[in-house]
Amino acid sequence: MKTKNKSMIVIFLAPAIFLYTVVFLYPTIRTVIMSFFKVEGVTDAVSGWKFNGMGNFRTLFHTPLFMSAMQNISLIWLVGGVGVMLVSLLFGVILTSGVHGKSFFRSVIYLPNVISAVAMGTMWINYVYNPNFGLLSSILKTLGFSEAAATQWTGPEMVFWSMLVAYCFGMVGYHMLIWMSGIERIPVDFYEAATIEGANVFQRFSKITLPLLKGVCRTNIVLWTVSTMAFFVWSQLFSPVNLSASTVTPMSYMYELVFGASNSAITVRDSGAGAAIGVILTIVVVIVFLFTQLIVRHDDVEL
Amino acid sequence: MANKKIRQKTNWKKELALAPGYLIVGIWVVFTFVLIGWIVLASFSTTREIFDGNLFKFATGLHPENYVKAWKTHKVSSYFMNSLVYTLISCTVVIIVAAPAAYVLSRFKFRGNGFLQNLFATALGIPAIMIIMPLFALFSQMHVTQSRGLLIFLYIAINVPFTVFFLNTFFHNLSVTFEEAAAIDGCSPMKTFWMIMLPLAQPGIITVTIFNFITIWNEYFISLIFANTAKTRPVAVGLYSMIQSMRYTGDWGGMFAAVVIVFLPTFILYIFLSEKIIASVTGGAIKG
Amino acid sequence: MKKKLCSLMAIVLICAMALGGCGGAAQSSAPAASGEASTGDAKSDVTVTYYSMWNETEPQGQTIAEAAEAFKEKTGITVDINWQGRDIRKTLQPALDAGQEIDLFDEDVERVNGTWGKYLLNVEDLAAKSYDTTDGKPLTDVINKKLVDLARSLGPDGKLSTIPYQPSTFLVMYNKDIFKTAGITAVPKTWEEWLDACAKIKAAGKTPITVDDAYMASLFGYHMGRLIGKDKTLAMVENKKIDDPAVQTFGEQWKEMYDKGYISKNAAGNIYPAGQQEVASGNVAMYLNGTWLPNEIKNSAPADFNWGTFAYPAVGKDGDGPEANQYGAQCFGINKDSKHAEEAFKFIVFMTTGEWDTKLAQNSIGVPMANDATWPTQLADAKAVLDATTTRYPWAVGMENDADINAKIKTNFALLVSGKLDAKGFADAMKK
Repeated sequence: MKTKNKSMIVIFLAPAIFLYTVVFLYPTIRTVIMSFFKVEGVTDAVSGWKFNGMGNFRTLFHTPLFMSAMQNISLIWLVGGVGVMLVSLLFGVILTSGVHGKSFFRSVIYLPNVISAVAMGTMWINYVYNPNFGLLSSILKTLGFSEAAATQWTGPEMVFWSMLVAYCFGMVGYHMLIWMSGIERIPVDFYEAATIEGANVFQRFSKITLPLLKGVCRTNIVLWTVSTMAFFVWSQLFSPVNLSASTVTPMSYMYELVFGASNSAITVRDSGAGAAIGVILTIVVVIVFLFTQLIVRHDDVEL
Repeated sequence: MANKKIRQKTNWKKELALAPGYLIVGIWVVFTFVLIGWIVLASFSTTREIFDGNLFKFATGLHPENYVKAWKTHKVSSYFMNSLVYTLISCTVVIIVAAPAAYVLSRFKFRGNGFLQNLFATALGIPAIMIIMPLFALFSQMHVTQSRGLLIFLYIAINVPFTVFFLNTFFHNLSVTFEEAAAIDGCSPMKTFWMIMLPLAQPGIITVTIFNFITIWNEYFISLIFANTAKTRPVAVGLYSMIQSMRYTGDWGGMFAAVVIVFLPTFILYIFLSEKIIASVTGGAIKG
Repeated sequence: MKKKLCSLMAIVLICAMALGGCGGAAQSSAPAASGEASTGDAKSDVTVTYYSMWNETEPQGQTIAEAAEAFKEKTGITVDINWQGRDIRKTLQPALDAGQEIDLFDEDVERVNGTWGKYLLNVEDLAAKSYDTTDGKPLTDVINKKLVDLARSLGPDGKLSTIPYQPSTFLVMYNKDIFKTAGITAVPKTWEEWLDACAKIKAAGKTPITVDDAYMASLFGYHMGRLIGKDKTLAMVENKKIDDPAVQTFGEQWKEMYDKGYISKNAAGNIYPAGQQEVASGNVAMYLNGTWLPNEIKNSAPADFNWGTFAYPAVGKDGDGPEANQYGAQCFGINKDSKHAEEAFKFIVFMTTGEWDTKLAQNSIGVPMANDATWPTQLADAKAVLDATTTRYPWAVGMENDADINAKIKTNFALLVSGKLDAKGFADAMKK
């Protein structure tokens, strides 16, 4: 029995571990090593790598565009994150509070997630944010805010926020589902007991729902962080021709560095710096992850 | 359960208290419909009307020919078939690879089990940017980039950790009695898995497959780098390349028609399976 | 449920089999006749792999696809076209580095010769030969000399390594009908005349000019060239310091354009191609752009759109005049490791001379390569501008050479033409 199990364990695990090694483990290690070397082309042989110490990181932190990218990604993570978490929690609470048509609402709110971001982005730029006939300016005009209606939503002052709103709009549904599943796992007796003792909606929410959602909250933060680090398509959609300071993200900057610039001048690619960007992002993810672990470590009612 | 109880009695006082909730959610839903509706309208319109904002007037009538154009000249049909093939094959193979691994991890005690579980979990946090460059170098040396096979391989490999992770908890919740009974009947553990445990895990497998399906169907970055040729593009990158060519030819009606064509299969799938999809999202995430 | 899963598996299996059949074909097209040296005569049974900068749906792409068919019929050589679109800027180099078998590729003259210079095969000898579509003369004698000289001067070691096609010039594209209604009789040659024309267009109820994020750097570069000359402008980019006192002059002049309502109020927020769609709709009179514009917006502009072109006006006495312009072309280049250089070059000749040169130009409202070619009516004025051009600006007068500078221009120029920055603020922001 024992040896039989052993061979079965090996056979069953081997393919998954093989794929993991090829696609996650080996590349991650190589990228980390690469980030300390001067490497031009992504396919250059290791013999052509020149040790560069922390040089790649230093160069990056002296490049205005990369710094804009880091600033943008931080704002997306923080502002977008807070916004998405609050709105999605609100929706989650509303939909679990016994409204009619819950599954309809839930499905529609989640819907943008199943549409390709390329399609959604094109629609936001050409319709919602259009200064002449766009949805936003028409609504503002109808409401009498003619000054606000004239705003250039895709101009340099607003384009970052416009992009962020468009991105977050889709993400709300996803995180709402996660909140909902957490809320629905809270035993209904808790609420009934509280209601009998005279607690109102808000008290029930702050005294029962919130504390019991810590674990879900951590999940949400981790998922948000992971998806934010991969922020790429929206940046490409809002600056289709070449990089702009207000829409660049580490991922889109890396794409230019590693695979060739979008301008026509003689630019040297820098895959070493691209790898360094990867390392920086990974460190950020790890820090956020550890931080969230800290929040719920001593939480015994984790769901 | 909680909601069913509440839903049974329509309490008007309660409904009134929920009114602000209805309002907020209602506005959001209407907004979503307007956005998607605009895309559909635009797909029947012309470039001129789209840019002049005269979309809703349909002064020149409907333009269903946009769809014909998108399907034929813009090769949506080919992108569509590519995506279908990539998605179906990857989703199947992912299960074949991940389910046994998840089963072993959830059922057997052995040294390194915990470590392996953590290993698979960490893959969820590794940004794509970390793995893209070495993979590109590796596969370029092997001269296999820009091929369908490679893309399928990558989709499989990338989705295995999540699937293992998801099914792990699923198997964990299955009762051990089935295996015990099978063992008494003289069924080998391996056979037990394929004949008994895998079928039992079907709800979990379907759920995670739907989730993988949507992920792979809409995947963008990997295919942009590894399969960006007219012959191998899946829909997401195909759509972007169409938008790019649209800038130079100015056929926006055709482009939105393409958008609708790309969006429809996921939408239809979604309508029929939204409960399951939602279950897969929440089921997968809650354990993270 | 079980049945469903089974049928799903069955579908997958069938798909997998079908894929096995077609996937192989897609990959294995290149490695043929590897023993052939490039010095041998063009063989008729080979396949030339061409990474194209076009999309299959663009007029250029469609014409090239037809030409490849005709070429195969005539010579037996298959041209396997890999439509990359402008993504080729990202895909070609890694593919070449990885040793993928690519024989032929194309892009803008500056990019092919500059960024991709190290992959190019010297084609001086091939281009000195005569071909059946060149009337017994060397290829270089029958195609646009100005562009051949340009390709040579930009080529690695000053050697001709690319063959240009689809010539273009960068100048002010305008709507002649709006000019007529506004009562403008002659195109503006100086900044005063320019402002005067803008005033008349504005009085006629139209918007004089617009721009979008794709061409802001070009506009800034052109204007700086007119203010302080090409060399000083390029030197600023070289030193990574946009600090010439004239930057503030630029700010003042375009602040005036904004204050007087001469630049479209959408300009700051236009995301490409929103700017040119404003021109297509007939609301905006002028646009600093390339001669490719009529082709790009022919689907949304009226069929009888009355195109005119003129060189960007002279602005200051220290700068260049209308004789300095950016001009260029797309260029075919051959991979130096190609085993089918002869065949690839034959295809280049096929595309850039005779029947297909004419057809490509006709289908794309473009300019043919032939020396004696007539230009399309939309671009008739542009020929005069190009003929009078004595100084060539590089693309965007260098302003796109540095991604940081380009990003800075896009942000600050948009702020300037939406009234959020004044001239001094603009100059200060550019200096940073």
